[in-house]
Amino acid sequence: MTIRRRLLLTCAASGSLLALTCLVAPLVGSTQISLLRALDRSIPFADNVDAQIFFIARMPRVAAGVVVGAALASAGVVLQALFRNPLATAETLGISAGAALGAILAITAESWISLGPFSPVAIASLVGALLAIAVVYLLASAPRRPLSTAVLLLAGVTLNAFISAIILFVQYLADFTQSYRAIRWLIGDLDVGTFAPVLGALPLVVVAFVMFSLLPSSLNLLSVGGDLAATRGVNVVNVQRLAFFSAGLATSAAVSLAGPVAFVGIVVPHLVRLVVGVDHRVVLPVAALFGASFLVGCDLIARTAMAPVELPVGIVTAMIGGPFFLWLLVRRG
Amino acid sequence: MAARAKRLIPVAAVACAWAAVLAAQQAPARRIISLVPALTEALYAIGAGPSVVAVSSYDDYPPEVKTLPRVGALLDPDTERILSMRPDLVLAYGTQDALKAQLQRTGIPVFDYRHGGLADITATIRRLGVETGHVSGANRVVLEIERRIAEVRARVAERPRPRVLLVFGREPLSLRNVYASGGQGFLHDLIDAAGGTNVFGDVRRESVQVSTEMLLSRAPEAIIELRVGAPPAGEQARREREAWQRLPGVPAVRSQRVFILHGDHLLVPGPRVALAAEDVARALHPEVFR
Amino acid sequence: MLQVADVSFGYGPSGQERPARAPFTLRDVTVDVPRGSLTGLLGPNGCGKTTLLKVMSGVLEPSRGRVTLEGEPLHAIPRRRRARRIAVVPQETHPAFDYTVMEMVLMGRHPHLGAFAIEGPADLAVSRDALAATGTAHLAQRRYMTLSGGEKQRVVIAAALAQAADLLLLDEPTASLDLGYQLETAGLLAELNSKRGVTMVLATHDLNLAGLLCSQLVLLRAGRVLGQGATRDVLTTAMVRQVYDVEADVSYHPGAGHLTVVPLRRSGHTDVHR
Repeated sequence: MTIRRRLLLTCAASGSLLALTCLVAPLVGSTQISLLRALDRSIPFADNVDAQIFFIARMPRVAAGVVVGAALASAGVVLQALFRNPLATAETLGISAGAALGAILAITAESWISLGPFSPVAIASLVGALLAIAVVYLLASAPRRPLSTAVLLLAGVTLNAFISAIILFVQYLADFTQSYRAIRWLIGDLDVGTFAPVLGALPLVVVAFVMFSLLPSSLNLLSVGGDLAATRGVNVVNVQRLAFFSAGLATSAAVSLAGPVAFVGIVVPHLVRLVVGVDHRVVLPVAALFGASFLVGCDLIARTAMAPVELPVGIVTAMIGGPFFLWLLVRRG
Repeated sequence: MAARAKRLIPVAAVACAWAAVLAAQQAPARRIISLVPALTEALYAIGAGPSVVAVSSYDDYPPEVKTLPRVGALLDPDTERILSMRPDLVLAYGTQDALKAQLQRTGIPVFDYRHGGLADITATIRRLGVETGHVSGANRVVLEIERRIAEVRARVAERPRPRVLLVFGREPLSLRNVYASGGQGFLHDLIDAAGGTNVFGDVRRESVQVSTEMLLSRAPEAIIELRVGAPPAGEQARREREAWQRLPGVPAVRSQRVFILHGDHLLVPGPRVALAAEDVARALHPEVFR
Repeated sequence: MLQVADVSFGYGPSGQERPARAPFTLRDVTVDVPRGSLTGLLGPNGCGKTTLLKVMSGVLEPSRGRVTLEGEPLHAIPRRRRARRIAVVPQETHPAFDYTVMEMVLMGRHPHLGAFAIEGPADLAVSRDALAATGTAHLAQRRYMTLSGGEKQRVVIAAALAQAADLLLLDEPTASLDLGYQLETAGLLAELNSKRGVTMVLATHDLNLAGLLCSQLVLLRAGRVLGQGATRDVLTTAMVRQVYDVEADVSYHPGAGHLTVVPLRRSGHTDVHR
């Protein structure tokens, strides 16, 4: 089958799955609602609880799931190819840790700094993530020297550990309710409440995806070998930079919106590769689409599993992702 | 009647003897360490304040405790310092097993604190009175709490009971990670005493993380937010109140019955709980407090 | 076709930038690769063979001197156009993901593809042809990582052929292969050179392979060129002693039809451990 046909088929399949998930997800939740009533224009919106739940609680939540799931899954694909390591994720690079530190500082300092659609915690985590990206990049690259992915990975892992230590320290100084809230933020959840934060994060994700679209065939070559890619016309240094910054940007936007939702960046790429093969021209778009439906699906479970109480989605992804990750390790071993 | 009284005589005799033995063993505690702020307050209220030698790192009430040494808290008790202060009673959380085991090995009695409802607060204060030899002080405090809460109940008794959401934590300037009282614990009892019905009364837990959907579906008629500390400046308070405007469909928001209460006493299950009940009741039913 | 003129190169601590005092890996190297030739690079471990190949492919930029492809400075040629002229077969290829053989070979088409790098029927035809030429057509749908060493090497050569370059640089193409695969690969290279007219530069430790395949040899030691010339002139007992510190018997083998080298012992006069 030619690449064009495969791309068309797999994208159509994963796209339909996403459409189906997005249709079902807003209809199901911890409360029973009637779609007819929700869409009934004759009842004033203020009196129509079904409509409010549908449009204010569920639709933005599904939208956030789509944006965050697609961003984290694609970032995972890109980083795994960049580091030639199928287990690399944004967590390995310290980006999530940077976001977490920002968020936790905002929580413990009771920050009041907000910016447009970004709440104080969202803006602080975004800044934290972007700073972490900058620090890792500066550590791994000196002027007039190509990026060393080995150093990049080491810098990321070290920064991750170091920031985690600072987080523990900040938590230690924080009072009890603050550390409790910080821990809950670290789980990650999609209950954004309005479309505003989703729309705020969207431009960053769109820029990241435009950058992603330039990458797939270069990532194929890069994942076979850096020097080999260079002899086949790939501008290795530029591709590495583009991959690192686009994945970083997508992760930052996603984490500032939903917190560091665990394991999406590892589970989704691997599942996708199991089904559609490893060609990044197919894997990247399919992972974006499937990542979106995966997270919306996980959130569906999170919202209904313990009704009337709702779980943060990060618990569900971690429950699925943890065992999956171990299975991957055993299988590779 | 007489027969029954006769049968009770040996029981009473045994009880008296046992009480005497207990009293002989337990002289009133003279050196008390409290790791539980609610209990620290209770100690001072019942008159055991002068015996308190150290408190937890979160204690700041009554003002006398500010000069006392701090020996850690729930997660990080400084066992070495606690032992070195030679306490004859340590008030600790029921979950601090490692600390309790160490104290018991050295023969230091531990007062086991368990979180609970309004009734548990008064029971705890009475028990504290017995353990510290301040039974009459404890009785006085408990009766005062019960009297004031009864008064609150009486005032709001004839009023309609709104469905209340009681929030004790959320992200600043947003409606994310909202934590509210479930159907257990003293906050739930506070709502009841103050003349409201907890919207999460059916959830058998102390706290609930509330999603937007739950806020909408539970449709509280009044929202009470309890916050520790002094009220913020006017601008911040206004923006914080405005955060709720994102859900204009919630009846409480529509009828402007969102109340953000500030005060260090609001979230402490101690002797000032009656004050908290009065504050909540005043917010819910201002008309009966004029 | 490819001229390497007075090239020196030194590695810095982490890549290309060489600090002032770091030693050169290559020193004043001059090599001429004529069109249609099959050039062997010989020398002991660490003599600079792989570095010279990377300089020839443009992966490394020389610190001094110049490399030209038919008169044009190599680094002035845009990457993709350069990749359409020069293809490389590395010593070993370990993809991070489980690509199929066909995918691996199609990647050779990269410098010929447009912006979104979707290959068309022509690219597929070239790749199938490359698979056929290397005798791996039957492996097309197999996973690369499940292949034997010899099959892998053939597939990587097929990918380089699919690149449709007229200069092929090979780094120890037979190093990890058993005797049978060595002969097969050697036969394949000879055929590609003679039938397709592909110019080749081949770094190798296998002096018999060099004797079998190469029309000319370049002898390297410690980053310098010790000698260069037609195989029959250069592959001698004296050369083996000079380059490898080994006493060897070099003679024409009538059955094989080329020069063969039988190593006898280490030469006495040099440090065995260097």
